[in-house]
Amino acid sequence: MIGALRRSARGTALLNWLSIVAGLIVWEAVARRLPHIVLPPPSIVLVRLAEGILSGELIIALLGSLEALALGLALAIVVGVPLGFALGRNRTFAEMFDPVLNAIYAIPPVAFVPFLIIWFGLHLPARIALVFLMSVFEITVAVTAGARDVNPSQIDVGRSFGARRLDLARKVILPAALPFIFTGLRIGLVRAINGTITAELFFAAINLGAIMNEDATRFDTAGLLSVIVLLSLLGLTAQAALRRIEARVLPWHIRAAT
Amino acid sequence: MRRLLLGLAGIAITLGVWELVGRRLGESLFAPPSAVVVQFGPQLFDGSVLPVLAGSLRQMLIGFGLAYALGVPAGVLMGRSKTIDALLHPWLSMAVVTSIAALVPLFILMFGTGFSFRISIVFFAAVWFVALTVYQGARGIEPRWLEVGRAFGADPLQSFSKIMLPALYPYLLISARIGLIHAIRAMVVAETFVVVGYGALIHNSGLSISTAPLLGLLLLLMVLGVGVTWMLRKASSFIAPWYEDRRSA
Repeated sequence: MIGALRRSARGTALLNWLSIVAGLIVWEAVARRLPHIVLPPPSIVLVRLAEGILSGELIIALLGSLEALALGLALAIVVGVPLGFALGRNRTFAEMFDPVLNAIYAIPPVAFVPFLIIWFGLHLPARIALVFLMSVFEITVAVTAGARDVNPSQIDVGRSFGARRLDLARKVILPAALPFIFTGLRIGLVRAINGTITAELFFAAINLGAIMNEDATRFDTAGLLSVIVLLSLLGLTAQAALRRIEARVLPWHIRAAT
Repeated sequence: MRRLLLGLAGIAITLGVWELVGRRLGESLFAPPSAVVVQFGPQLFDGSVLPVLAGSLRQMLIGFGLAYALGVPAGVLMGRSKTIDALLHPWLSMAVVTSIAALVPLFILMFGTGFSFRISIVFFAAVWFVALTVYQGARGIEPRWLEVGRAFGADPLQSFSKIMLPALYPYLLISARIGLIHAIRAMVVAETFVVVGYGALIHNSGLSISTAPLLGLLLLLMVLGVGVTWMLRKASSFIAPWYEDRRSA
């Protein structure tokens, strides 16, 4: 049984890689017939990516981007997690402010850009604000779901063993909601990475956004793609890393792969 | 009833706080709702806003329609075939984390800044989320249901149209909702970047002295998003009343 499972998991991984390789070959074959401005072949994109990393240009820009990313995400966690708990555990509060928050959430974050420029200018504070805006709702939604769906019988058990409100919050509700907090962090982190590059393109161009802008004015499609690939790989790696940490921290919680 | 009253109270409190803060900060920083109504109200009906929004939405809907037409079958195939899932999933995972804003300069080089650019951005933003949602629905179909069908002699076509399709109804609507929200976001990203359509209105109103018109434009987008969500939720409870939509996303 376990052997079969392992075989099928290995088969899936094999197919995954096969698909990636096949996709790259098709892309390469198609791109060789087209002008490189329209679609550069993956071989050139990979070379550009390697050059950018080895020359340090992309790495320095990426490190520069991390500042707004980290600050914006930290702010979103500090606001989103307690807000999520309040919405998940207090029904009156949730019924009052869920509609308002859902309505604000429905506004595309980029539409706030002119507003953020008025308030925060074109530099670091504005970038932090956009990263915050793009990640805070996702974190709040996930934490709300986690705090709301704590099994009531777990709380009852805690109560009958004499736990007080604070004990209940710390020892029952928090551990039960932790998987959802991790989900919120995972989605929030990806959104924060997207928010960072969005901010670097929509406010004053800087770091990776500046590199993309230069590539665009030089009609360097391969350069643009190399930055996009770098960012997507960063997002995937960050997600995988958080999954690893989650498995370490919450060994009792087995999550179905999505 | 209690829910409705509390919800209205929440909206009233939010508007009240906004009015107070807005008056404190002044119109140039954060116009209060009263100023938004007075300044944006007439604009809304003088033909400078709604036709532009309609034009933008028409293009968005073309991109979304293509994404939906392709994303739904892709999601069903991925959900029902392990092989197709294994082949498509790496690309889907990669695309889902990719920033739409980062794609904008790339798509401009590939497609220019016109019609095909706006449509392809919207398409790319929506198609993966539509596929992913339908995939989750298709994967969740219980093998037992299909076995019962087979036991009663259903051929593959019948078991698709009579068992799988009804099981997918709610997901068809959820995926439309999630896809449309992403499509509207992508429309705003693309239009604000190249300053065209509704995005141009947002961009230009950022330059005016009062923030009231800008806030009005944001509120209009909000009404649009909430309206779309509400309509598709209603449709969902009409078409698939057995499925209780508990997702808050």
